[in-house]
Amino acid sequence: MGLFVRMVREEYRLHADLFGSGRFGVFPVFVALLVGGGGWLLGQTGVGTGAVVAGVHALVVFFGLQVGTIGLVGRDAMRDVLGDVTLLVFSARTLPVTWRRLLATFLLKDLVYYVALFVTPVVLGLAPLLFGAGEPVATVALLWVTVAGTFALGSAASLTLAGLAGRSKLLAVALVLGLVGLFVAGVDVVAVSPYALFLDPTPATAVVALAPTAALAALAPLSFEPGQAGGRQVRRVEGDTYDRLAGLFGDDRLGSLTARPLLEVARSSGSVWKVAFSLGVLFAVAAFLLDRVTAATAISPSPGVAFGALLGLGSFTTYNWVTSLDDPREYLRYPVGTGAVLAGKRRAYLLLTLPTGVGYLALAAVWYPLPGLLPGLLVFPAVAVYVYGLTAFLTGLSPNELLFDTPLFAAFGAGLALVAVPLLVCSLAAGRYPVGAHAVAVVVAGLAGLVGVLLARRSGPRVDDRLRGAT
Amino acid sequence: MPAVTTEALTKRYGDATALAGLSLSVPEGACYGLLGPNGSGKTTTIEILTGQREPTSGTASVLGVDPVAEPIAVRRRIGVLPEREDPPSFLSPREYLRFVADVRDLDDPGDRIATWARRFEFEGVLDSLSGDLSEGERQRVMLAAAFVHEPELVFIDEPLVNLDPLLQETVKDHLADYCERGNTLFLSTHFVPVAADLCTEVGIVVEGRLAAEPDPAALDGDTLLETFSAEVEAAGTPSDPGTASTTDGGSRPADAGDGGC
Repeated sequence: MGLFVRMVREEYRLHADLFGSGRFGVFPVFVALLVGGGGWLLGQTGVGTGAVVAGVHALVVFFGLQVGTIGLVGRDAMRDVLGDVTLLVFSARTLPVTWRRLLATFLLKDLVYYVALFVTPVVLGLAPLLFGAGEPVATVALLWVTVAGTFALGSAASLTLAGLAGRSKLLAVALVLGLVGLFVAGVDVVAVSPYALFLDPTPATAVVALAPTAALAALAPLSFEPGQAGGRQVRRVEGDTYDRLAGLFGDDRLGSLTARPLLEVARSSGSVWKVAFSLGVLFAVAAFLLDRVTAATAISPSPGVAFGALLGLGSFTTYNWVTSLDDPREYLRYPVGTGAVLAGKRRAYLLLTLPTGVGYLALAAVWYPLPGLLPGLLVFPAVAVYVYGLTAFLTGLSPNELLFDTPLFAAFGAGLALVAVPLLVCSLAAGRYPVGAHAVAVVVAGLAGLVGVLLARRSGPRVDDRLRGAT
Repeated sequence: MPAVTTEALTKRYGDATALAGLSLSVPEGACYGLLGPNGSGKTTTIEILTGQREPTSGTASVLGVDPVAEPIAVRRRIGVLPEREDPPSFLSPREYLRFVADVRDLDDPGDRIATWARRFEFEGVLDSLSGDLSEGERQRVMLAAAFVHEPELVFIDEPLVNLDPLLQETVKDHLADYCERGNTLFLSTHFVPVAADLCTEVGIVVEGRLAAEPDPAALDGDTLLETFSAEVEAAGTPSDPGTASTTDGGSRPADAGDGGC
């Protein structure tokens, strides 16, 4: 228990130090207001409470999966960005505690911490909507249990996958393919998720709905090998890999500034597969939401616009991968402006994001007619460029600042909503006005892309000023 | 013309004052040591002089260029080795030095990399991932990165940390040779023996001010330690005798960093 409490305190201090305790402290309040406002707005547009609750579960499982994925590279990133950060979880050699107990306590701490900081505000934000629909307090309590369970399912699933991938990449790939196979074969995966308990709160359903989550939570700490916690093994690389890669991009300064983030992403935990995994999770969430909207209403949304918009918005995670493995201040030692550094990162981001997103659009053709997906080929790259520009402008080379810096998070959310809302409206309207809605979607995405280019151009000097303490 | 000058340089971080009107001058060809206790402003001084940070007030000049107005012009002509920084974990030393050579637009990066790897004795790990190297190996790679473009002025924050005694001698010889060839070295350290061994001129900085510039002829370890202790005590700053009197600059205590100031 003492270890758990100390880890919670350590996590709080790390966040408070990174983001400033004041800005960090109001984050849960902001989340509650955001969810409450969003729920109310959806209610006004005729979306039922049940659909809102389903959507929240989908988003929370996505968040849980992302938190677990961040765990994939968390240590890599911390070591390079913050220097030799020593957390209790890495102290098995110096404390009389087994490595596995440390990891299990660490994961439990993460669960409790994020449930308090994120899940609880989400549920509190939805409470007025539920009360307005005549639901009792018990339903809100049940929602808290199922949303917390959904977060645990997401984070435990991706951590287990990360642990297994450390033992055998083949096993991890086989597991993912197996899950996709079950989904394609029509197995009702929702029935074995905590959301099923919200739909049918009976003891029998509780067992079926929560058992996979409990099993994964137990498996996650067991899936990691102790060796991964710090055994020193010197890895060698081919002497000319870097030269050949940089040469592909022009064999000059920009070539090097592009090759470096690509190599860093490829060689860090999860390799380039973490990009595919993050966008894949978003693809699955988008498919789930499209399926629900089609089933619950008479609307036939445009899959191309919906997938294009959501995959483009989700490219934020790729921005995170290409910027989280180095310290922005390092570049201040070289005769190169941050604008050039960002240009290299931009090329790496696009090289990782665009083929992956287009791959998922191609995969969607298995379920959706091809003509309906084609607008996605225009919408997705443009939105990805916009997300790059917006993120670079607001956060520079430190996108993790968004996590709990409330004003920054609000600005980023507003920036995304400016593009996401019209595109999602276009997607919904495409059933009735196919030509007009698709045309508007392409124009909106194109304009967003242009804004993204402009924002990206302005971010270099802005980041330079911030890093050097001028602003 | 001095290689480095500062005039009333001041830097505040919120309520904390890191530099309180620091004025100093470093002649060309000197091996200048900025000696001070933890938190006295040494790292901030180097960050301002190398264009990495802007001062709250005051002026600075590096090789005749203003590092505040023209940071990139300054960085082009100097080398920097920060106190606590490693080569990128997922690049090998060869790849990292190639990266540095590219961002500095250097010709013949391959030859340069081979030369510096030989000089600092890390040829054997040139193609290993930097994150897997020992601290000493990483420090050698960082030294090579600071010198690979053969600049006329190099700033080094704690030059000998993490190096074994034999390699400390190699690095000291290299630094002495570097200055003998007419280049300028600006070292920051809180190890008195390092300053006494390496430097031709020393400035003692306490609480963000230049407290003393001992006579270069009296830079033997004992005299310098006495002067240093007297200045620190006069300012009322608790010095760390473990760091001030350590004779082996390479084995610093774990918490002997500069606290970011």
